[in-house]
Amino acid sequence: MKPAPFDWLQARTVDEAVGALVAAEGDALVVAGSQSLGPMLNLRLVQPSLLVDIRGIEGLLAVDEADDGAAGPAITYGSLVTHAAIEDGRVADGTNGLMPQVARGIAYRAIRTCGTIGGSVCHADPAGDWGTALTLLSATALIEGPAGRRAVPIEGFFLGPFGTVLAPGDLLVGLRVPRLPPGTRWAYEKCCRKPGEFAESIVGMLRNEAQGTCRIVVGANGGAPVVIDDRGILRDGFDPVRARAALASAGLDGDPYLLKLHLAMMQRAALEVSTQVPGGRR
Amino acid sequence: MKHPVRLQVNGRAVEAQVEPRLNLADFVRDHLHLTATHVGCEHGVCGACTVLLDGAPARACINFAVRCDGRDVRTLEGLSCDPVMVRLRAAFTAEHALQCGYCTPGMLITARDIVLRLPDADEARIRVELAGNLCRCTGYAGIVRAIASVLEARLSEPSEPSEPR
Amino acid sequence: MAGTAHKGVGASLPRKEDARFLLGEGEFVGDIHRPGMLEVAFVRAPVAHARIAGRLKPAGFEGRVFFMQDLDGVAPIRAVSGLPGFKASDLWPLARDKVRHVGEAVAMCVAETRAEAEDLAAQVMVEYDELPAVVDMEAALSAPPALLHEQWGDNVFLESLVDGDLAAIRARAEIRITRRLRTARQSMAPIEGRAVLCEWNGRLGQLEMHSAAQMPHITRAGLSECLGIDQGAIRVIAPDVGGGFGYKGILLPEEVCLGWLARHLRRPVRWLEDRREQLTANANCREHHYDLTLHADRDGRLLAIDCEAIVDSGAYSLYPFSACLEAAQVGSILPGPYTMEGYRCRTWSVATNKPGILPYRGVARTGVCFALEVTLDAVARAAGREPYEVRLLNLVQPGQMPYDNITRKHFDSGDYPEAVRRAVAAIDLPKWRAAQATGEDAGTDMADPRGGRRIGVGFAVYCEQGAHGTSVYHGWGIPMVPGREPCAARLSPDGILELRIGAHSHGQSLETTLAQVAHEVLSIDPEQVRLVHGDTAMTPYSTGTWGSRCMVMSGGAVAQSCTELGERVKAIASAVLDVPPDALQLRDGGVHVRGSDRCLSFAEVAHLFYRQPQRLPPTLEAGLEVVTGYRPEVDTGTFSYACHAVVVSVDTQLGHVELLDYVIVEDGGTLVNPMVVDGQIIGGTAQGIGTALYEEMPYDMQGQPLASTLADYMLPGATEMPPLRIEHLQTPSPYTRFGQKGLGEGGAIAPPAAIVNAINDALAPLGVELTETPATPRRILAAIEAAEVERSGSGTHA
Repeated sequence: MKPAPFDWLQARTVDEAVGALVAAEGDALVVAGSQSLGPMLNLRLVQPSLLVDIRGIEGLLAVDEADDGAAGPAITYGSLVTHAAIEDGRVADGTNGLMPQVARGIAYRAIRTCGTIGGSVCHADPAGDWGTALTLLSATALIEGPAGRRAVPIEGFFLGPFGTVLAPGDLLVGLRVPRLPPGTRWAYEKCCRKPGEFAESIVGMLRNEAQGTCRIVVGANGGAPVVIDDRGILRDGFDPVRARAALASAGLDGDPYLLKLHLAMMQRAALEVSTQVPGGRR
Repeated sequence: MKHPVRLQVNGRAVEAQVEPRLNLADFVRDHLHLTATHVGCEHGVCGACTVLLDGAPARACINFAVRCDGRDVRTLEGLSCDPVMVRLRAAFTAEHALQCGYCTPGMLITARDIVLRLPDADEARIRVELAGNLCRCTGYAGIVRAIASVLEARLSEPSEPSEPR
Repeated sequence: MAGTAHKGVGASLPRKEDARFLLGEGEFVGDIHRPGMLEVAFVRAPVAHARIAGRLKPAGFEGRVFFMQDLDGVAPIRAVSGLPGFKASDLWPLARDKVRHVGEAVAMCVAETRAEAEDLAAQVMVEYDELPAVVDMEAALSAPPALLHEQWGDNVFLESLVDGDLAAIRARAEIRITRRLRTARQSMAPIEGRAVLCEWNGRLGQLEMHSAAQMPHITRAGLSECLGIDQGAIRVIAPDVGGGFGYKGILLPEEVCLGWLARHLRRPVRWLEDRREQLTANANCREHHYDLTLHADRDGRLLAIDCEAIVDSGAYSLYPFSACLEAAQVGSILPGPYTMEGYRCRTWSVATNKPGILPYRGVARTGVCFALEVTLDAVARAAGREPYEVRLLNLVQPGQMPYDNITRKHFDSGDYPEAVRRAVAAIDLPKWRAAQATGEDAGTDMADPRGGRRIGVGFAVYCEQGAHGTSVYHGWGIPMVPGREPCAARLSPDGILELRIGAHSHGQSLETTLAQVAHEVLSIDPEQVRLVHGDTAMTPYSTGTWGSRCMVMSGGAVAQSCTELGERVKAIASAVLDVPPDALQLRDGGVHVRGSDRCLSFAEVAHLFYRQPQRLPPTLEAGLEVVTGYRPEVDTGTFSYACHAVVVSVDTQLGHVELLDYVIVEDGGTLVNPMVVDGQIIGGTAQGIGTALYEEMPYDMQGQPLASTLADYMLPGATEMPPLRIEHLQTPSPYTRFGQKGLGEGGAIAPPAAIVNAINDALAPLGVELTETPATPRRILAAIEAAEVERSGSGTHA
């Protein structure tokens, strides 16, 4: 399984990358960690004429811990930060251990040392962990394109399986992740049969009783991660009837088997956010 | 069109002109004749091709050689004198951790990473960390025992140098 | 008969072959470089069933692309069985008029690199007139949408019948259980794929082919038939091979193609199977369907088995095992290790638009064990007895050994009930029954994520025929019959023992274990022993490595040749030491005069023979090279056996199955190297767990294989293996050299039965009984839901 021929350009700056992408008129792909793109190229599922390599753009590895903008305290991760760096705690974490746990469950160590959070988000595999986790965390995608820089809430970033709002010429340069408010409990329940496998259902939950907030995201559902907007589900522990209704109105009840998994993961996540010691679990 | 690449392979400086689509596994195997690194799936799942890239385990099959300019690659051949690898080899034999030998190089690279990175790993953790290395012959029992035995031996000893020479 | 020295039979000697593999110095086909080597990629059919309406080579590359019509002088691969009614199929190495499965090779492209060969392949144009795809084996048989081989008139390679009159038994049987059971199609998935490197040696006038092969002499024979050149002009070398399991016991269309190409181009050519090819073009094993009825008395004593079984044999009969083997084998082994009064089994080997079947570790035994053991548990439930009690009631008893069963299988020795008793004790059945009774496991509290788990215990028993000999194998009439197994044993001038065998070791550890056998006979240190295997130019003819035969057959041959060699050594020592041969004994790595300290090492004896023949009497004829052919006293095969016992926890919310405990009580007779034996058992069990829970190659209605990568085709990893305990009985076989029995396949036979029985035990209170592998979460949850619907009588369950 060898790729179709392609040319390769190592961009030194974001502008150079954007320029190369624009010039290629849609026939180029960005390569970051190559862990998702490598198999696709080997299988000839994609056959770009050019790979624009952003690995050499130093700024994309930066982690800004002091992002205290109008939206509240946050950490901005350059798109080239690897899953392993997050797993190992070598970069700051404002999520009380949620992000490191998510990272640890991605594929295998040898993939995580190379794969990047940005690359994973742009690949937009519906079963990809970061899509669901970052949606749960209400992250923002920072994009540089021919028209300049823009910020897109991650909830609007995914357009279904393997589809994002990125236009030809766009480059994801960073992900801004709000710090979790103190006292926030979280759950990230991933249903898969073997470690590292793509999940059949992922449910993420955040709950902060003091602030009266909760957030539920259902991922690995075949399309973009879905935010379930019904606090009533968690009002008295876990309400499976309301949960099922919410999944149905989100269009996630087509396959009875998958529906069962989503419900089971929601129930487990609900238990976790009601019993977790705030401050995170490892 | 080929591109120049200069990298370190097993401590030796290597220069080559490579097609961008040439993956690192094919590069070390066919261009450098380092055939310890095996190819099993070419999509990153089986782990047979696992090498060290800048000291960390990586899949040679889905990393492209042209992108390794300035990087340090170490294959099993370059770890023959590595102290942890010496122990692992003895443990693999003592615990019958290989049969056909095809998955073994990638398995050893991952095993070494477990020993160095997770000195407190218990059996359950070892198994999780091995999820990315498939073996069709052994059922993993000997491999897990071998890694556990090296971990246990190291716990009861003063630390040793672990950088590959 | 147990080994007396710690390096002989019975010793868990660490492996000699490890040294090279641990350093990465193994030499697999893909590691071999030849100057001027070209790489091959195949164009493969994207559709399951079609006539080839047209084909076109990319302009300018006509000399690099080959269709079947270009391969002059090449005959199709024909694996015919002599069983009555068997229908032959022609497998053209490149499809000629039709393609009959997705992935069938249609064209061969050659280039400097594999990537460029694939570029070429992408430009080859083939026009397909699609035909309806034959995907379901039952439909293929009774309502075929199309015929794969039109001249047959149906899609049946072979129908076979073991007949029996069951009317009287049917009338008096108080328990009758009928089940439909299925085992899914799988891929054997060794980590190394198939691999072929071929070149023409002008000096020797010989085609030299390196291939990842289990049976190099058979490959050589098949190549000769297809290429139309004599076997003397063909040399096949199986170097290090990365796992076989039956996948590499075949004459490949790719081997024939590259054999032709190497002669045509006069350059070395190489093809390395990639994982997508392997999965999409070669998922070729395990797919069985059973309609099974067991007749029993009220206590669960088996009176008769009545079965109709279908094996999905794919599109072509493959060489050498043919499409007869697995289906016909079902009929002869379905009775398993049990006694009964009546038996009837009709089987069909059916052709479908899928890759041709190959015998995968365990062969038909895995499916047969699954069908019988799962249904036997249903008999136990009907009789109100523990499943293990029903086993004890029906197993052949030790006092009956050797036993000719109802299909005239000759069980050599063993205590089958003891294996069950020990497994029951080791798994601690009472503890788990108590847990089930108190509902300790179940947990109905839905707020507790661990709620909804149910515990079950399952057993499975089997016996495994290994080392089939001439008398029981020639009847298949397939292109190979095992005869006497040879070994050429030679002492080098410095006393190194070279053993040349025709079988091949690719994980079986023969480089170590056969050295142990030599040590047992001669006392030579295993470090002084070299095993030569895999090269047809350097080894005597053998059918190779399959059917758990190596330790019985090659082991017996090594022992026999070493025994004769020992006589030669003594003859030389006798002459030089001037004592009669019977005053000499072989021990401690040499030949010793009894009751004295006069001795000669093997090295000294060899030195005398090769370097100082003047010191030997001129009448001494026999030299230090011996070739003998071995067969066991009774060659109907050995029967190893085991009882597997497993405890599962089934998560009724997710359908996940956790293996809490797993016990195997096995009997392989005398164990030459217990460490190696355990390794084979555990490795086989991992594959069995794959069959039970994870592995399946699904096909859609158009015959498209749906699991094209290892992300979809789930292989067991380290986390899927349970804590595993193995106990050994060692009832020697009366027929083999040391009492050893073939046992390598056993681990892959019982797990599907034991695990599904355990799942059914766990879910019996819910009215669930699975009869299909793999027992995936989807199937488990669907079965739970279906049972709920049936129980509640309600039609809606959102």
